[in-house]
Amino acid sequence: MYDDNLEHSNEYGYGAPPDDVHGTEGDTDYDRSYYKMPEVVKKFLTYFRNCINEGLVFEIQNLYETTFPKLTDQYFEKRSWPDEADVAHLVDNDTVFLTLYKELYYRHIYARISGGPTLEQRFNSFFNYCDLFNYILSANQPVPLELPDQWLWELIDEFVYQFQSFAQYRARLLKKTPEEMDTLNANNKVWYVLCVLNVLHSLVDKSNIKRQLEVYASGGDPESVAGDFGRHSLYKMLGYFSLVGLLRLHSLLGDYYQAIKLANALVVLSSTAEDGEIEVLENIELHKKTQYSHVPACQISTSYYVGFAYMMMRRYSDAIRTFSSILLYIQRTKQLFQSRTYQNDQINKQTDQMYHLLAICLVLHPQCIDESIQQVLREKNYHEKMYKMQYGDLAEFESCFLFACPKFLSPAPPAANAKPDDYVKEAIQHQTQVFMDEVRQQKMLPTIRSYLKLYTTLPLSKLATFMSQAQRQENSWDLDKEMKALSIHLLCFKHKMKNVVWSKGSSGLDGKFQSGSELDFYIDLDMIHIADTKVAHRYGDFFIRKIIKFEELNRKLHQIKI
Amino acid sequence: MAEAMRQTVATMLKGIERYNPDNLPTLQRYVETQSRENAYDLEANLAVLKLYQFDPQTYNVEITSQILLKALTNFPHTDFVLCKCLLNEKRLMESPVDHIMYLADVLERCDFETFWNRVHSMPELCSRIVGFHDSIRKFVCHVVGITFQTVEKSVLAQLLGGVDGKPFIALRVVLAKLRALVPHATVRHWVNKYGWREESNNLVFIANQDENIKTKNITEKIDFESSAAIMAALR
Repeated sequence: MYDDNLEHSNEYGYGAPPDDVHGTEGDTDYDRSYYKMPEVVKKFLTYFRNCINEGLVFEIQNLYETTFPKLTDQYFEKRSWPDEADVAHLVDNDTVFLTLYKELYYRHIYARISGGPTLEQRFNSFFNYCDLFNYILSANQPVPLELPDQWLWELIDEFVYQFQSFAQYRARLLKKTPEEMDTLNANNKVWYVLCVLNVLHSLVDKSNIKRQLEVYASGGDPESVAGDFGRHSLYKMLGYFSLVGLLRLHSLLGDYYQAIKLANALVVLSSTAEDGEIEVLENIELHKKTQYSHVPACQISTSYYVGFAYMMMRRYSDAIRTFSSILLYIQRTKQLFQSRTYQNDQINKQTDQMYHLLAICLVLHPQCIDESIQQVLREKNYHEKMYKMQYGDLAEFESCFLFACPKFLSPAPPAANAKPDDYVKEAIQHQTQVFMDEVRQQKMLPTIRSYLKLYTTLPLSKLATFMSQAQRQENSWDLDKEMKALSIHLLCFKHKMKNVVWSKGSSGLDGKFQSGSELDFYIDLDMIHIADTKVAHRYGDFFIRKIIKFEELNRKLHQIKI
Repeated sequence: MAEAMRQTVATMLKGIERYNPDNLPTLQRYVETQSRENAYDLEANLAVLKLYQFDPQTYNVEITSQILLKALTNFPHTDFVLCKCLLNEKRLMESPVDHIMYLADVLERCDFETFWNRVHSMPELCSRIVGFHDSIRKFVCHVVGITFQTVEKSVLAQLLGGVDGKPFIALRVVLAKLRALVPHATVRHWVNKYGWREESNNLVFIANQDENIKTKNITEKIDFESSAAIMAALR
């Protein structure tokens, strides 16, 4: 039942979905009759198809990234692109092109049409993806198709997004008509989670991408293990992006173990340039351009989900390392993301989310990070939030988490007999609950830390007195009781600050227990001995940059001939 | 038995096969084997919870409880959190899962005394998991080992909880009072196991912590490569 989902969708074939989904054929006919396609759009479509057929990747990239959005703004701001039927005769009924075209067509509807896609459009978009993946996956030899990486990435990303969007739509039972419910119940294989997983796994397997990445990471030639399909750029990149798609999907379902495990190869890749804790901060070219990492949105998305999974697994050092290295990368290539395009909006949102997650991690696990990232966190917005969280404001923790977390899903739709209600928030509430339980367990730690920071040795009884200052006015105060409570908090402090930290060469899931936070202590009978980390100011980097700049200027001045 | 199953199960967890509902009976049996034979396989257990998540009708509260209790035995690893994330709010409130949630919470807070009291008050819950108490004591020793240089024996005894295998009797209160006195043999066992040392005055020496836990000074280091660039420019 879980295996034949792809085949299953075959029976719908190209453009012949079951009757109940295509009930409005007449209306679209009517609309079409007085819509005249602008000449420039006609020309664009014909040219687009020719480029794809001839495999002119750079030209396709240009059409995809520049012309298509431009025409969208000009002619299709508030309406969908022309229907398949209007386009088919322009491109000689080229089925592959039409499938690709429909992918863009539905994506545009999801993104721009107010009210979002109808149930019918959601179904048809799903069938269209099945057609596309069937074409790619069921071939005996690699299909003659080449697309720019940016497109392939957005294709996989969109596929997961549309699944997410459908699951949310499905969980909202309140505004559904009985007919819609019937259609949904009769077609429960559409956008079914196993089907989505199956597609992504098949693309990963077909391309041998995991093996390729292993060989690549150990310095070998990935081509040697790629196989017929994996050598082909289309399959290789689809395989790579599917790994990231799986990472996202697992995170949305709260399966952080699988997320980290599947993203293993990706983690190893992005961290090969990193070395130890402090050196990481000094390495400027953290994300060296590799053949897999030239789609910034993909790199950023990977780090977001990996970092988030680490945070939920209480591996704060790893989360902080992941977030700060990608944020540094974003900071240094900022000019790339400044223009407002559909791609950059997403990147900027995710950047802001990652700063929030980093802030949460640093409150729970204070640690020294790169100065330029620290600078951003000192700005008013983040500074205030961090301050509140440090003082145990649980509501602030929750609102930061809710802003920054992925939009979690329940994989199974509400039961058929469930009472009409809105189930969409359930999954998010649950993950928030899990996170807040953790925060509540650690609630006393920042206060303890703030006292310990002031001393190198401190008797237990003295700290207990500090800790209970608020209640001391009352008569019920009892030093023994307070000391007992304090001892428990101190054990908890040690336990929570000792976490698994990834070490070079091991898989992303493994690591050693380390105390990575800046303050540590031990108890000798009744005395707490405290060890703090002192960081000297760093001038070297600053001066090196300035000297090089000055030399550059000097050289230019010398070249000027008067 | 558990070892033999581990191989079979490993093939059931590869790729898309992990989501095959036909594997559920085997995986559930494997969970029970783990409880009986004091074995542990997080990945297989997560796969069970995953299958419950995909098809809520197959949910089995008995198996889930065992998975959660087994996750407690693997503290300080965060296995329990991983399991919890695959359940949902309603499931967490059902009995006996709610009791296990409470146990996990006090254990995370390192309130060991409360933990042991609760465990002793419902012995039937944890007794199905062979080696449960000792696994928790391992975690206690982990925390003790990273926290103390020297500790009073009575404190250590309290953290390690009561003696194993005490039959549940109605005179729980009396027993609780006795418990602080009872486990000297147990304490000695764990002290030896971790290479700690009993000293005079009823103290236990754990380790020389000042070797590992000391103030760090991070000073600036400028490596050869970055200064080489400047020297080249100044030439």
